[in-house]
Amino acid sequence: MSKNKKLFTTPLLKNNPITVQVLGICSCLAVTAQLKPAVVMALSVTVVVALSNFIISLMRNTIPPRIRIIVQLVVVSALVILVNQVLMAYVYDVSKQLSVYVGLIITNCIVMGRLEAFAMSHKPWESFLDGVGNGLGYGIILVILGFFRELFGSGTIWGYPVMEKLGMYKIGYENNGLVIMAPMALILVGVIIWIQRSKDKELCEK
Amino acid sequence: MEYFNIFIKSIFIDNMIFAFFLGMCSYLAVSKTVKTSLGLGVAVTFVLTITVPVNYLLNKYVLEPGALSWISDSLKGVDLSFLSLIMFIAVIAAITQIVEMVVEKFSPALYNSLGIFLPLIAVNCAVMGGSLFMQQRAYDNIGEVTCFALGSGIGWLLAIVGIAAIREKLRYSHIPPALKGVGITFIITGLMGLAFMSFMGIKL
Amino acid sequence: MKSGGLEMKNFSNKYIFIYAAALVAVVAVILSVVAMGLKDRQQENVRNEKMQTLLAAINVATDRDGAEALYKQYFTSELTVGTNGEVVSEYDIAADNMVKGEVRAFAINLKDEQNKEKSGAKGAFPVYLFQKDGKTGYVIPTQGNGLWGPVYANIALDEDFNTVVGVTFSHDSETPGLGAEITTEKFQAPFIGKQILDESGNVVSIAVKKNADPNGAHEVDAISGGTMTSNGVSAMLGDDLMRYQAFINNMLQGQAVEAVAENAADAPQEEANEKEVSNE
Repeated sequence: MSKNKKLFTTPLLKNNPITVQVLGICSCLAVTAQLKPAVVMALSVTVVVALSNFIISLMRNTIPPRIRIIVQLVVVSALVILVNQVLMAYVYDVSKQLSVYVGLIITNCIVMGRLEAFAMSHKPWESFLDGVGNGLGYGIILVILGFFRELFGSGTIWGYPVMEKLGMYKIGYENNGLVIMAPMALILVGVIIWIQRSKDKELCEK
Repeated sequence: MEYFNIFIKSIFIDNMIFAFFLGMCSYLAVSKTVKTSLGLGVAVTFVLTITVPVNYLLNKYVLEPGALSWISDSLKGVDLSFLSLIMFIAVIAAITQIVEMVVEKFSPALYNSLGIFLPLIAVNCAVMGGSLFMQQRAYDNIGEVTCFALGSGIGWLLAIVGIAAIREKLRYSHIPPALKGVGITFIITGLMGLAFMSFMGIKL
Repeated sequence: MKSGGLEMKNFSNKYIFIYAAALVAVVAVILSVVAMGLKDRQQENVRNEKMQTLLAAINVATDRDGAEALYKQYFTSELTVGTNGEVVSEYDIAADNMVKGEVRAFAINLKDEQNKEKSGAKGAFPVYLFQKDGKTGYVIPTQGNGLWGPVYANIALDEDFNTVVGVTFSHDSETPGLGAEITTEKFQAPFIGKQILDESGNVVSIAVKKNADPNGAHEVDAISGGTMTSNGVSAMLGDDLMRYQAFINNMLQGQAVEAVAENAADAPQEEANEKEVSNE
């Protein structure tokens, strides 16, 4: 059990898919201008990674190695289409905000990376946990980014006007539009990596 | 003129990396030297320019609601758009495979420099993203789509070669140890993105 | 269980083909079933959102689920009109009945119609009639290009087809904090009370420009820093409203009713004829 627990917890911090493995950056930056799409994206990716890990692991002994990648792609894109359809039906507003980035989960390196590195050689239940762990590790970074970008960029959290309620505008505070824009997202990730690596010297690159 | 606008716009303003963060994984992994990043950039441009127009035709004549009406009128109500993701990725995977085989057969020299990158490209978000943006933005004809694809590819190439050149110089700089490698690359990409934002003012 | 035996296994070509075919078949079946199952709900979302934006243009705030009921309450009928001012189709919302023509204005894709006009064919453009506080009015939807992608607006006009009583703007991908400000109250409020016709009844639209005169009937202030989006909005309003010139002339001169009756006489639609007779 402790081994399974470890599978689940290491990707959260020590082997975080974004800041340590440097996978799945594309979608992480584009959907974090606000907290809500960031959370939905994090959940979608977690579902896709966990389920595709599970399914591929079940199938792993029957998959002909020659068409391995294409089989993985088919399974992943089928799952992504399912997620996309469900989002369009039940959380339409968010699915509009996420636009093409839901489709891009297919090419999210976290998914393919975990399939190749883990699911092809481990049992279904372990693979499932590994998928959930990696999905959530990805999610943590998304939520942190989404929180700060929405707070400083629009002055709200989950749509609730925090800055206005605190009376910040009255004392001359202005929202920083730059935080919402693309380049600032990159710089923020850089800063998160910086903070994490200065706490944990092992992760530093030489 | 319309074509030229789309071309310039997709290189500088709608840059795949700086505006949409697409293809970041290979961008970060392969940008250590100018030479290899140039190779990958050319390969991405090449694959984008082929796959996006092919997917455009696929979308227009097979997937869109009512797209099958050219076969017979009774198929007018068929809407296969829910299959677009899986079809696009299949086309991309197939075409990268074909390109790899063709290049290997006819130009071994090119294959030696590009070959190792081609399998990577199938799962490059920039390539998939190109097809998805094409579908979302509803371009009018295949000429516009090709300009968009070529422009996006060149924009990506520009970005990766630029960052590789900077990273080569960075090796001789004093960077806080925790920021070395990925961290500083992110921040520099952000700064480059800021610089690229000034292209927004271009009147097209 | 020992894993990693993949390399040792030899799969025949036949196996690979059957495997691939089976996989594709299974995936296709699952996806089709789910897509069919959720399709109604998705289309309902799209429909309700459109109703919501139309309602917003006449200053009726609602959430998406309540949109349909309110839409039926406030809007009376949907017309599509050609650029010569003729009424192509009419749909009675309360009675849920196509009075004339075949395509509901609601089902029209504005971009398609614009492209038709561009390529020389004839398009049909929607007008929504509403009743609010005992007064009739018209909502005209428009679509154009901002800096990054499409921008949309619904313009609600008073019964004189001139005074703006409400407006909503939306966009797909304008820059947050700059162009995206077109969705804010600050940008939209000044539109109310502006006029789209000049004194002799020609459509002159409303220009979005810097340092606009607040008392000018045909101009509103642009967004600072969002010049390209503002220009896009200006061009969109100009182009799209201009298409209704002939229709507005007809309506103002009370000729539209006749035109409707004339056209309806050609079509074998009993109900339509009855209605027109009663109108006259």
